[in-house]
Amino acid sequence: MSLLRSRILNSNLPRELIATCTLTPPHREPHHRQFSVLNRPPPNYEGHVPLTKTERVGMAIGSAVLAFLNPRRAETNKDLIATLGETTSQPYFITRLRDTMLLTPSGRRILRLRPRITSSTLSLPHLRSLPKNTLGHTYALWLDREGVSPDTRDAVKYIDDEECAYVMQRYRECHDFYHAITGLPVWREGEVALKGFEAVNLGLPMAGLSVAAVATLKKGERSRFWGVYGPWAVENGVGARCLIDVFWEELLERDVGEVRRELGIEMPVDLRGVRKAERERRRKGREEGERSGDGLGIN
Amino acid sequence: MNPVLSSLRARQLSGVRCRTCARLLRREKRSFATASGAGDPEGDPEIYDVVCVGGGPAGLSLLAALRSHPTTSRLRLALIETQSLTPLRTFAPQPDSYSNRCSSLTPASVGFLDGIGAWRHVRRERVMSYGGMRVWDGVSGESIGFDVDGGGGGVEGVKEEREGTEGSNGGVVAYMNENVNLTSALLRRIEELGGVDILEGEKVEDIAFGEDTPTADLTSWPVITTSSGTRLAARLLVGADGANSPVRTFAGIESRGWDYNRVGLVATLKLSGPGWGGEGKKIAYQRFLPTGPVAMLPLPGNMSTLVWSTTPALAARLKSLSPEDFCAMVNAAFRLRTPDLKFLHTIEGGQKDEVSWRETHTKFSREQVPQDVVAVQPGSIASFPLKFRHADSYISQRIALVGDAAHSVHPLAGQGLNQGQGDVEALTQNIIYNVEHGADIGTRMNLEGYGKERYWRNHVLMGVVDKLHKLYATENLGVVRVRSLGLGIVDRLEGVKGWVMRRAAGERGLF
Ligand SMILES: Cc1cc2nc3c(=O)[nH]c(=O)nc-3n(C[C@H](O)[C@H](O)[C@H](O)COP(=O)(O)OP(=O)(O)OC[C@H]3O[C@@H](n4cnc5c(N)ncnc54)[C@H](O)[C@@H]3O)c2cc1C
Repeated sequence: MSLLRSRILNSNLPRELIATCTLTPPHREPHHRQFSVLNRPPPNYEGHVPLTKTERVGMAIGSAVLAFLNPRRAETNKDLIATLGETTSQPYFITRLRDTMLLTPSGRRILRLRPRITSSTLSLPHLRSLPKNTLGHTYALWLDREGVSPDTRDAVKYIDDEECAYVMQRYRECHDFYHAITGLPVWREGEVALKGFEAVNLGLPMAGLSVAAVATLKKGERSRFWGVYGPWAVENGVGARCLIDVFWEELLERDVGEVRRELGIEMPVDLRGVRKAERERRRKGREEGERSGDGLGIN
Repeated sequence: MNPVLSSLRARQLSGVRCRTCARLLRREKRSFATASGAGDPEGDPEIYDVVCVGGGPAGLSLLAALRSHPTTSRLRLALIETQSLTPLRTFAPQPDSYSNRCSSLTPASVGFLDGIGAWRHVRRERVMSYGGMRVWDGVSGESIGFDVDGGGGGVEGVKEEREGTEGSNGGVVAYMNENVNLTSALLRRIEELGGVDILEGEKVEDIAFGEDTPTADLTSWPVITTSSGTRLAARLLVGADGANSPVRTFAGIESRGWDYNRVGLVATLKLSGPGWGGEGKKIAYQRFLPTGPVAMLPLPGNMSTLVWSTTPALAARLKSLSPEDFCAMVNAAFRLRTPDLKFLHTIEGGQKDEVSWRETHTKFSREQVPQDVVAVQPGSIASFPLKFRHADSYISQRIALVGDAAHSVHPLAGQGLNQGQGDVEALTQNIIYNVEHGADIGTRMNLEGYGKERYWRNHVLMGVVDKLHKLYATENLGVVRVRSLGLGIVDRLEGVKGWVMRRAAGERGLF
């Protein structure tokens, strides 16, 4: 543009041409009004904490470093991950996720109705009573197996746009549905695999950063990630349709296999099963070693 | 007596006399001229100095210009127009109803029209001048707007001295006017001056070189046969016959370019008010969307005219909507973000409800966008394919092209009709010069000056308009960033902005 314009301005051009340039004399509109910590603007929604740019960057770096240095704290203190997620996804990534929702009827319906997923909006006893093959039953079963509840999600506070804040909230609340439909457990190994899937499927940087936690996995887990769950995450993240606009609440009574097929998700190898088999093998190996040692001793 | 000869005599030709004219003069001594009235298929064609094919804005203003200048007022002129001109003669519009074909006239065009005595006949109460434009990028939200009276270095230089022209608010960027208001004024001016043979409701059937008859050697003259069998020989044949110009085809001039795969959807709209600044401070709005720019241009009162460049498929969807949903879509086009617009184009109805919900979640400043569209004038929604076409040459032996016959440009800068007025002004100057110097107005050599001057002016303008379209017809983030950056830099150069504004208003002279 500037090249075009400088050419216009430097050449001897007819008067009509210049009329075209009326399309471009600009007036910059301030995108974000700057403020300092001393005159923080009022919140845009309940619980909102407006941050200055410096604070935002500082918190993003701080939470990332802390989460990496002290993964245990990151795991137990969900707030750290939440902060990281919020501070790294604004303004670009969360807006893009919201825009993805705006492109489909179900995404728009979610934005309009703003459903919440909590133990009061979803009756777990009811879900448990649904036929075994339903999404609702699978979800309830997964919550029970992993011992988690839908109410453990933090409220969003650092996303400035009120609608984008809801999208972040929605993402958090849907996270357990992603677990349930893929069957991945909440332990670190399962979580890393799912984060990889989310990073590719939703394009959230925080999910991508969390994959760095693969470095903190045990050796066997790590090679399993590179060999099995990593490739699965990429393949399915790309292949599945973007999950953010799935209206899970409306699919609860549907057959879970059918839902998976519609969304384009393949179940990964059951991690619990793999680990169990692994443990079994190791135990056997140890026993055999002991036995052969005995044998040696005998001989 | 043969009118060509009479006019040649009247001018007392000096040595600059082409061979044909010399021969004609010699022959005329030997024989009688053809009977007056149009020539018939059997007899010789009627001979004219200028035959203009096409009675659009370009053709009519050429005839009015030639008739109104003392030097050229005695040339023998004919107009051939396919359509009946009666609607132009009886143009009696309802005060609250406007044609959907409106064009913005630059002060330069208005100055020219005033000079040829046509502007007086324009119904001024239907013309809306505007002093500011707000233009912005629909993807980045970057504003490119300015206000003529206020910032931007101002355009104080563009005070309207001309008596009776609109725009008491000082700087006028352009005048919004219905094409029919202009063409009917031009026709009134032509009929007031008289002396143009008008063949209306007649199509050009054939154009061929004439014969060497006992009265005149017309072998190098184009002879036009109309649908009623009338034959006219032209010293200079002007093609003002629009984009599919038969004159250009006859001349064998190639017109090159491409289709944008876009249409310009037009409509006459009623807004909730006369504009944020009231009747005296009208503003034009244009927002660049990835599918093309959408523009809202002010008409008197609460009325406005819409030009929305978009894909044929999206235009078809817009046309199929209920009036309520259509209005909602126009409001959305100036307010909502790209994903919303994309989605709203996919649904068959219910846009009104969707848009009012999305407006509550979209950040925009009400006063920075046009007031709400509340109604669309019934039957005013139409669309025209948008093309880029430029003729290889504007002239040939005894041929000149003006207006859309020579060039079609994307309407984003509102320049098509104005370019045609510029062509007409230059061609008129060229003819006046030749007549004053006793030169044949039709020879290629004598037309060269017109052809060169206008070709290059239009060429550069069209190139820039085309690049602007392409630059903004993308959502590619890199491009969006760079173009915003470019705008930001120019924003800092206040002097440049003032200069640009003055050119925008069509002020003459370059620096
Ligand atoms: C959506 C849209 C918006 C526009 N907005 C603007 C604007 O804001 N500002 C601006 O300056 N321009 C604008 N334009 C461009 C402008 O409308 C044209 O440039 C202008 O009308 C061209 O005038 P013209 O006289 O050259 O050709 P036309 O208006 O096309 O006139 C040609 C005439 O020739 C006649 N004709 C054709 N063939 C024959 C034949 N064989 N025999 C006899 N007669 C024939 C036709 O009937 C017609 O009357 C816009 C164009 C579009 C599509």
